[in-house]
Amino acid sequence: MSVQTSDPSLHQTLLESRRLAFAHSQESRPERTALEITQRAVLNILEDFAAEKSDLELGQCATLNIFEDFDAEKSRMAGAQRAALNILEDFAVEKTLLQAAQRSALNILDDFSAEKAHLQETQRAVVNILDDFDQEKVKVQRANAQLEKEITDRQHAEEETQRANKELLAANKELEAFSYSVSHDLRAPLRSIDGFSQALLEDHADKLDPSGKNQLQRVRLATQRMSVLIDDLLNLSRVTRTPMRRERLDLSALARSIAEEVQKADLTRHVEFVIADGLVAEGDWRLLRVVMENLLGNAWKYTSAHERARIEFGASQHNGRRAFFVRDDGAGFDPRYAGRLFGAFQRLHGANEFPGSGVGLATVQRIIHRHGGEIWAEAAVEKGATFYFTLG
Amino acid sequence: MPNNVILLVEDNPDDEALTLRALQKNNIRNDVVVAHDGVEALDYLFGTGSHAGRDVHLVPQVVLLDLKLPKVDGLEVLRRLRADARTKLLPVVILTSSNEEQDRLRGYDLGANSYVRKPVDFNQFIEAVRQLGLYWLILNERPPMIRRA
Repeated sequence: MSVQTSDPSLHQTLLESRRLAFAHSQESRPERTALEITQRAVLNILEDFAAEKSDLELGQCATLNIFEDFDAEKSRMAGAQRAALNILEDFAVEKTLLQAAQRSALNILDDFSAEKAHLQETQRAVVNILDDFDQEKVKVQRANAQLEKEITDRQHAEEETQRANKELLAANKELEAFSYSVSHDLRAPLRSIDGFSQALLEDHADKLDPSGKNQLQRVRLATQRMSVLIDDLLNLSRVTRTPMRRERLDLSALARSIAEEVQKADLTRHVEFVIADGLVAEGDWRLLRVVMENLLGNAWKYTSAHERARIEFGASQHNGRRAFFVRDDGAGFDPRYAGRLFGAFQRLHGANEFPGSGVGLATVQRIIHRHGGEIWAEAAVEKGATFYFTLG
Repeated sequence: MPNNVILLVEDNPDDEALTLRALQKNNIRNDVVVAHDGVEALDYLFGTGSHAGRDVHLVPQVVLLDLKLPKVDGLEVLRRLRADARTKLLPVVILTSSNEEQDRLRGYDLGANSYVRKPVDFNQFIEAVRQLGLYWLILNERPPMIRRA
């Protein structure tokens, strides 16, 4: 800050004092000296004073400057204070808002903690489910592996089946050709043997004695038996060769029609047929007709030695399955030989006792097996036989 | 008895002899032409080969046709007969050993008029031939377009 001697009156006084002191010095020396000393003293004083004053002025100026600066500071301070107050006010609003926000945040947190509890519960449940799921997954994986193995096994089995089927088809075709050949070629020589035996008996009877004629008759009978055997054998093979067609069949009606046929063939016998009504089954009509013809035909045949006989067709339960049966009260058989009943060409009676080729029951068994069923028999010697069969 | 030809298609000489015997036993005195295989049968019917120049308008009264024959089998003979206008309506009786279902089905399918199985028992065979002769040579009226041989 600069000090200025700006007071004009003080300056004027100084200048006047100097002028007067000079003038006086011009008049008297002795007196003048005393005066001059005083004057100088006064002047010195005045000068000192002036210097003081100027210092003072400088100080004052500085002070004034300081004050001015202070004012500016103060005004700035006031501004700052106002700003600070404004800020504080704003802050108070903020604080209220903040508190509200905090409250809502707290509420939210409260809610959240409830949610959290729920969530934890849910989480636990989910974890449990996941645990279960894991266990299930392991089980499923195990089952899957098992399944895959089964599929592979099945594929193998299927391939095996297809291969076997092919072989079977080939074998069947061969059998077909064989049967065809048997049917045509095996019978022709038999016809020759029988025909020329007959011709011999007719044309050259005079050259044959009774024994020769009897021998030729035996030749003829043998050829005819063989012819029956061939036919039975062909029927047996046909049973497995012909395609099956399943349909609903009235076995009672079938039994009745066969019973009528056999009765018509021999009206001299006294046989009572007892046929249960409404026995219906699913099967191939032609094949099941062969079954019924054989079973009822056998019953008719093996009761022929009895004066009166009773033949029954019915159904009963065996191990939860319905079994049809044909029962007679004829010759029966020894149950010890029951195992041989269904073998081809197996007979439990001599041909002179009851005629037959031993193919009938083998044929019947094949048909029953083709239907997915079973056949078995119960019997006792001279106490009749009962043949049971199921159909799939 | 009308003297109308019977065409017997039979390769087995025993069967031929027995059939002729059976016809004779039944007093069937028709001429019998024997063809020993399918080719011979077709040659006779169509006037070719060993029967070249034969008047084919003279057709048999009935054909007794075996199925298992050398060269051309019975079913093929039947198929060719039915395919030709001259023999389309000719009565054909299949007389064979087998009663195989496939033979019967195919035989009738190709237009056979009868299917008879030769019985092994010769007496039964004689009876079968008697009935055949009675039916096809006497009882049955032939189709009008076919002229007698």
